[in-house]
Amino acid sequence: VRILIADDDALSKRLLEKVLACAGYEVTTVADGLHAVECLSQPDGPRLALLDWMMPELDGPGVCREIRKLREQSYVYMILLTSRESKEDIVAGLESGADDYLVKPFDAEELKARLRTGERILHLEDRLVEAREQMRFKATHDPLTSLWNRGVIMDLLGRELTRSQREHGCTAVLLGDLDHFKSVNDTHGHLVGDQVLREAARRLLLSVRSYDFVGRYGGEEFLIVLNNCRPGSAMARAEEIRKIICTRPVQTDAGLLGITMSLGVLLSSDWGRRPADELLREVDGALYAAKNAGRNRVMQAKPAEPRQRVPAPQPAAERVR
Amino acid sequence: LMHTKINHEDSNMNKSDRTPETASVNLGELLARVDNDRELLCDLLSIFKREFPDQLTSLQTAVAGNDAAQAARVSHTLKGMLANLAVTKAAASASRLERLARARENSSLGDALAAFEKDVRGLLPEMESYMAKARP
Repeated sequence: VRILIADDDALSKRLLEKVLACAGYEVTTVADGLHAVECLSQPDGPRLALLDWMMPELDGPGVCREIRKLREQSYVYMILLTSRESKEDIVAGLESGADDYLVKPFDAEELKARLRTGERILHLEDRLVEAREQMRFKATHDPLTSLWNRGVIMDLLGRELTRSQREHGCTAVLLGDLDHFKSVNDTHGHLVGDQVLREAARRLLLSVRSYDFVGRYGGEEFLIVLNNCRPGSAMARAEEIRKIICTRPVQTDAGLLGITMSLGVLLSSDWGRRPADELLREVDGALYAAKNAGRNRVMQAKPAEPRQRVPAPQPAAERVR
Repeated sequence: LMHTKINHEDSNMNKSDRTPETASVNLGELLARVDNDRELLCDLLSIFKREFPDQLTSLQTAVAGNDAAQAARVSHTLKGMLANLAVTKAAASASRLERLARARENSSLGDALAAFEKDVRGLLPEMESYMAKARP
């Protein structure tokens, strides 16, 4: 366990250093408060600290206040070392954000016991953070495929469209649907269907750049957002994705199953300032056209010519899948 | 670590060494604090030997110049050093000096300093002798 000792008294610092090193701590020492803040603010800095109350530049309570302002970093357990014994001083020290205090000259066994308390608190915090991260993942990801869930991918699409409009760039919006997926479920059961969905999601993630977004939009529908996409290359990239999906059959409990995907593609630069849901209706229309044209293909949504009317998409239930 | 430990039975550094003239350090308390580690004891005594004279001069200058804030800071540092080395009486004198300086009782600082100087008189030679005995 790493620990910081901040003390301007060389004698006290040496004594603490030796006691803690013998107790198995990995010790870092500094001689003033500003260096203590610098060390504890590092992302991989020590999370246990022994701070002398009186130090040059910044005193121990000052260090506690600075560290407590950093909300994004992991919790740092700080113990003030003080020879001040008045209740007012102790209250002021704890109010500054210190977790505990120890009166100098310290007793080595008491010091080690208090540090063990600190370690228990840090361990508890680690478990809470881990639980929070798990909950955050569950709230934002599709449980079956681990892709972004519908709410998040829609949010990401909205933000990306706003950004590309502001920067006069282009975002490619792809809506892909696995062909004949219903028959996979009907023939082999839902567990095999789930295996197909997971493998399709994995292939989609492999086919995009790390800063593109892939989400599960519906049952077997996937929304792919290609950021900063050159208009001339969008169709080629959609075609690559289609090929990656169908190149090899999927290994399932029912054996190898061939899969294909139909995709609708839309370039935001073709559509001016339109809201995300409107663009999604258009790209859905292109996907529908790809299905009607024989599936396993890519179709692009283009704005209608003046005085030409685009037929409204059919309700989902009537569509060819 | 074991080889650096002080063996009370064999050591010539025994509490019975303390005489009324050199009774400033509570040796039992100090040895317990360093867990009978000779090397650490030597380190601490060297640090004290190096830092104490300058700190004392700084304190005397502050008191002579009526600089209560500086006198408080230095007497606080001295108090910490002395307490860590179990020099109990001198640590108490330094504590009194610090209290008076913080309360800006400048007129009392001279007497408090004199008392402190009396308590630390002979301390460095005493530390030297401990160092000589503790040296592995």
